[in-house]
Amino acid sequence: MLAYFRLQLRMTNRKLDAFGLYPLLAYILLIIAFFGLSNYLFSKSEYAPYLYIVVALGLSIKLSEKKRIDFLKMCFKTTDYFKIRIVENSLIALPFVIYLIVEERFLPAVVLFLFVNLFAFFNLKTTTNFTIPTPFGKRPFEFSSGFRNTFFVFPIAYIITYISVNVNNFNLGVFSMLLIFIVTLSYYAKLENEYYVWSFSDSSKVFLIKKIRTALLFSTFLSLPIVIFLILFFHSELETLLIFWILGYAYLVTVILAKYSIYPYEINIPQGVLIAVSLVFPPLLIGIIPYFYSQSVKRLKTILE
Amino acid sequence: MIKIQQLSKFYGKNEVLNGINLSFEKGKVYGIVGDNGSGKTTLFRCISGLEKYNGKITSDYSVLKNHIGLLLTEPYFFDKITAREYLQLMCNARNVQLENLDTQNIFDLPLKQYASTYSTGMKKKLALTAILLQKNECFILDEPFNGVDIQSNMIISELIKKLKTAEKTVVISSHIFSTLAETCDEIHLLKNGQFVRKVLKEEFSSLEAEMKYFTIGNRIDQLNIY
Repeated sequence: MLAYFRLQLRMTNRKLDAFGLYPLLAYILLIIAFFGLSNYLFSKSEYAPYLYIVVALGLSIKLSEKKRIDFLKMCFKTTDYFKIRIVENSLIALPFVIYLIVEERFLPAVVLFLFVNLFAFFNLKTTTNFTIPTPFGKRPFEFSSGFRNTFFVFPIAYIITYISVNVNNFNLGVFSMLLIFIVTLSYYAKLENEYYVWSFSDSSKVFLIKKIRTALLFSTFLSLPIVIFLILFFHSELETLLIFWILGYAYLVTVILAKYSIYPYEINIPQGVLIAVSLVFPPLLIGIIPYFYSQSVKRLKTILE
Repeated sequence: MIKIQQLSKFYGKNEVLNGINLSFEKGKVYGIVGDNGSGKTTLFRCISGLEKYNGKITSDYSVLKNHIGLLLTEPYFFDKITAREYLQLMCNARNVQLENLDTQNIFDLPLKQYASTYSTGMKKKLALTAILLQKNECFILDEPFNGVDIQSNMIISELIKKLKTAEKTVVISSHIFSTLAETCDEIHLLKNGQFVRKVLKEEFSSLEAEMKYFTIGNRIDQLNIY
């Protein structure tokens, strides 16, 4: 069992290495980022503990993919299998539990810890034949696949919007809108097999424009209800809302272009740094987007033209 | 017509293809045979433009890859994409309108099911359906019969014949000699990155016997089966 965790650690280190990060440095940065972000989140919203529970449980569900579970069951004795599942789920939840304790939110911490351990006994992410319906089937694949993996986030986002109006908290409303964009951004984080780019008979420019157009259209479809709701109840904050809305689109475009600017390789340190810098100072996007665009055109030309 | 001249491909220092010369004409079916690792898949990837290479590949089309339907040995499918959506994606990619899908679903695939949950054979049939719906002019089929049931093998063989009469260019690799013998006009033998022999239809049976003799030889006797 220990060998299994050593192997997991080695695999993670290799991934970080491939990303161009020294593993130890990456772990330190992750811890700092996690606690920094948590601090910000808890200072801004009273609903942060609930969001924490959702995120941590979501991560532990990701570990219960059927093929993965079958593999573990095949390799280990039943007792070892459950030990592995419990340790894995606990490790995933640990940073969240620690932060909840630091914030003296003991009940959510206990609930989270109990639930992730309970999840170790179930296969929550199954490959059943049930097909989750999606409104994005006509333009596969990012949104149709992504929507099915994250469909539960959208009702949560809409409920948060409703709560934001009820408690007259505009920031919470903006957060719910940004949550939609963060989720849609994640649809473009996964690198598709080269075959799927190669299959397109479009030029690299047309290919990119089509990708961006689809992303903008579908993210509008998902975010528009929130925007309309917020405009109706916070019309004095219209300007701020529009700025965040446009920023959501801008980062979506940036991530798409960043992905193809290095394709068929994964986003690396230079792209990551540029995106991170733009998060601190968004006007930089005016320069970053055209840069990623020109790099993407060059990269895709070798495959498409 | 696709013309390959002096095609070479290196992976690092390892030369996988070494000075390949070959032409593929319209309305003909070509078989490529060779051992595992002889360079068949690499050759297909080079023709399709998925690999950089030395040499020259010319065709009647301005961008050859836009007219090629490539069936991979192990087709890859996204997580949580239904078969119907996969077909839609592949048609969108070639700007082809997807119409009457249910009547064109010749393998009776469950199109509402996630493609990634399909069996190996079903995945192959789905990928094949996709490249047929794309209305390509050239078809490169890497192991189209592998993992597919007998009934579907018969359908695929008939499909290849139909593509031939429709003046399409078809290139197939297969380890199942009978299927090649049934569908191909000529077979090319690839060995260590070079074509060592071209065999026409009337010589197919002698090729099979020859291959059997050279491939098997007395190998089995060397293994001490008790």
